[in-house]
Amino acid sequence: MFGQIKMVITILLIAGIAGAGMYVMKLRSDNAILKANQHKLETAITEQNKVLEKQKEDFTAILESNKKLNVLINTFKKDLQDLDKRFTKKNRDIGKLAIDRTKAIERIINKGGVNAKRCIELASGAEHTEAELKATKKSEINPECPALANPSYVPYQ
Amino acid sequence: MYHINKIFALALIVLLTGCSIGGEKKIKIFSVEKPREKLDYPMPTALQLEDLKWIIITSKNAEEVFKKLEEAGIDPVLFGLTDKDYQLLSKNFARIRQKLQETNNLLEEYKKYYEPEEQK
Repeated sequence: MFGQIKMVITILLIAGIAGAGMYVMKLRSDNAILKANQHKLETAITEQNKVLEKQKEDFTAILESNKKLNVLINTFKKDLQDLDKRFTKKNRDIGKLAIDRTKAIERIINKGGVNAKRCIELASGAEHTEAELKATKKSEINPECPALANPSYVPYQ
Repeated sequence: MYHINKIFALALIVLLTGCSIGGEKKIKIFSVEKPREKLDYPMPTALQLEDLKWIIITSKNAEEVFKKLEEAGIDPVLFGLTDKDYQLLSKNFARIRQKLQETNNLLEEYKKYYEPEEQK
């Protein structure tokens, strides 16, 4: 009888120790998982911050690009208005002028044609010449497309 | 009998905990992002246009102009525009030039945005 009680107590003791050991092992494993989770969360936060930073940079780049395109479109409008003005300024009639001063108008039109041709070449990506880059006076610029042909030129106000 | 019980108890413990020791190995899956290949087209080559000459012809100078053409060995024929149509042609060319510039500019901006220098 006494021997059986002893055996039961021994079994319970051993089972208790084994259970405690397993519990500690489980705690250690949980701890490892929690540490891994913590690391993942920290990494995710860093990644998110990087994404946000990149998004900010992208927005700035988009705004900058939009601004540039708007400036370009406004320049186009102004160039067209200037061209229209050249034909109609002070009720100018280019047909009548051509009848009265044929040679002079022919010369002006041919010069305009050369300038317009150069504008198309520049718009298609041609390199600027030294003279075009340096031009700052009205007499030196290409009046067909000053913003495109002569980046140093500031129009008089 | 006492030893048999001990062995029995130990066997029981091993039996109960045996499966939890070691465990299965986990498979790790890595995903590596491979950036898309760059298109990398060169920018279009610039246009080189031919020079052309405008001749103004009026009722007064018509004969003189045709005579000069004949003397120069050029067929005495001209393709004409009225002054209004000349103005329209000038504006049309200005619009074509602007569209060309706008398209080239957009292309550059796209390239700058999607293929910045540090990625090249």
